[in-house]
Amino acid sequence: MSVCSAEFIVAFLVLAAGFFRLPGAGSRRAALALANVVFLYLSVPNRGSWIALGIFVLSGYGVGRLLLRRPSSALFFGYLAAMIATFIVIKKYDVVTPILPVAVLHHSLVVVGLSYILFRQIHFLVDVLQAQIPDFTLGSYLNYQLNFLTLLSGPIQRYQEFHTYWLDPRPLATDRHDLLLAFQRIMVGTLKVSVFAAICIYYWEGAKNGINHAMSGEFALTRRFALRNFVTIFYLYPAYVYFNFSGYCDIVIGAGRLVGLKIPENFDRPYLSRNMIDFWTRQHMTLSLWIRDYLFTPMYKSLAERWPRKASAAVFLCYFVALFLAGVWHGATMNFVVFGLLHGLGVSATKIWETYLIRRRGRAGYRKYLQGPRTRVVAIVATMHFVALAFLFFTPDLNNTIDEIRAVMRAVF
Amino acid sequence: MDEILERLQAVLREVFGDDEIVVTEATTADQIDGWDSLMHVNLIIAVEKRFGVKFAAAEIAALKSEGENLGNFCQLLSRKLAAKR
Repeated sequence: MSVCSAEFIVAFLVLAAGFFRLPGAGSRRAALALANVVFLYLSVPNRGSWIALGIFVLSGYGVGRLLLRRPSSALFFGYLAAMIATFIVIKKYDVVTPILPVAVLHHSLVVVGLSYILFRQIHFLVDVLQAQIPDFTLGSYLNYQLNFLTLLSGPIQRYQEFHTYWLDPRPLATDRHDLLLAFQRIMVGTLKVSVFAAICIYYWEGAKNGINHAMSGEFALTRRFALRNFVTIFYLYPAYVYFNFSGYCDIVIGAGRLVGLKIPENFDRPYLSRNMIDFWTRQHMTLSLWIRDYLFTPMYKSLAERWPRKASAAVFLCYFVALFLAGVWHGATMNFVVFGLLHGLGVSATKIWETYLIRRRGRAGYRKYLQGPRTRVVAIVATMHFVALAFLFFTPDLNNTIDEIRAVMRAVF
Repeated sequence: MDEILERLQAVLREVFGDDEIVVTEATTADQIDGWDSLMHVNLIIAVEKRFGVKFAAAEIAALKSEGENLGNFCQLLSRKLAAKR
């Protein structure tokens, strides 16, 4: 079920209208839990998927309980390996399909929001292991993991924030103006998804189909046609991703406010980023923070503590690995490996450039350099184009994307 | 607390390579030039070494989040040092 559908929005508004009329925290929690069950019922396609989802989530709870009683890195890392292996098999990652038996891959499991469940589960277990979650209940854990507002595509909320809310759901909007802002946010999100993203994807598909028809020999791919369609593909896909994803986030953040749940922000004008590191602090922010806290920091910290003299070299590697894995996490097909490689290279190159400039000019000189209006414009335009280039590899058929780029290159040059 | 802040200031000066850094409990990461995510981890590594404590992933993240200042950093350090005794 899509959160941008009329059915969802109407059903949600009915829930929100009566939510704070329910007496006490218990009945509000029950209403939210019921909403989560209904949302899952409409989203999980078959019995096998229900069982897989149940095992994935409940095993996390069980391991959390064990870690709470007796913290054990061996148990955590063992379970982490099993969880990632299960994730790869359920998602049928292209990189492992040639080496796995056909019987393992021959399944019809579709676990909704599994990528986000995985991230929440890792965060939850790391924090339990490190005594940052002193206690939790099955109810709060399950409703955190399966919260209908963040199940499908985030934002990736931290358990501690959700737990505080779950204990006593209270209104966030304090006056009429706040309430109107929440409704406005839902409306803006719906517009972004249903109008702007829809227009972008419509013209993007048209441009892509045009090039593919020409490639199949239906008509000659002229220089002008190739250039026009490529420009459409190049600029409209990033626009589509922004409108679609930030629109979805607007809807769930606004909806969250209506039931008293503060859902973290996920976008901050990403196409005004000045470099690729800046981009990841503005685009899909909860993912970036998760990567920073649970991938980059432990990886860099462990390398820098072990080999302090090589810390400055290790940092480029850590940036690369962290963003490469973030790219690969986006999907199971090979195109996401290319997408991840480009983002990994982009952020590590940014760090190398920054280090070079600081060495050459000093921190004050570097700050002055960044403040230059010409530098600012060039940096924003260059970053936006690099991001758009990487987005060419966001669509699943990698061979087709490469063929399209080749065909356009041949026609243009 | 003053003693912890003083020791923390010494670590900050060493990590950021700036002997002129002067901090108070109200100082935030934004007020120190170059305190980005990477330098934050370098600072945490140095603090862990100097004070003989360990920070959890969530604590490292929280110390760099909006609204945090060195006063909170010192309080956390103080709690960790007390737990060690």
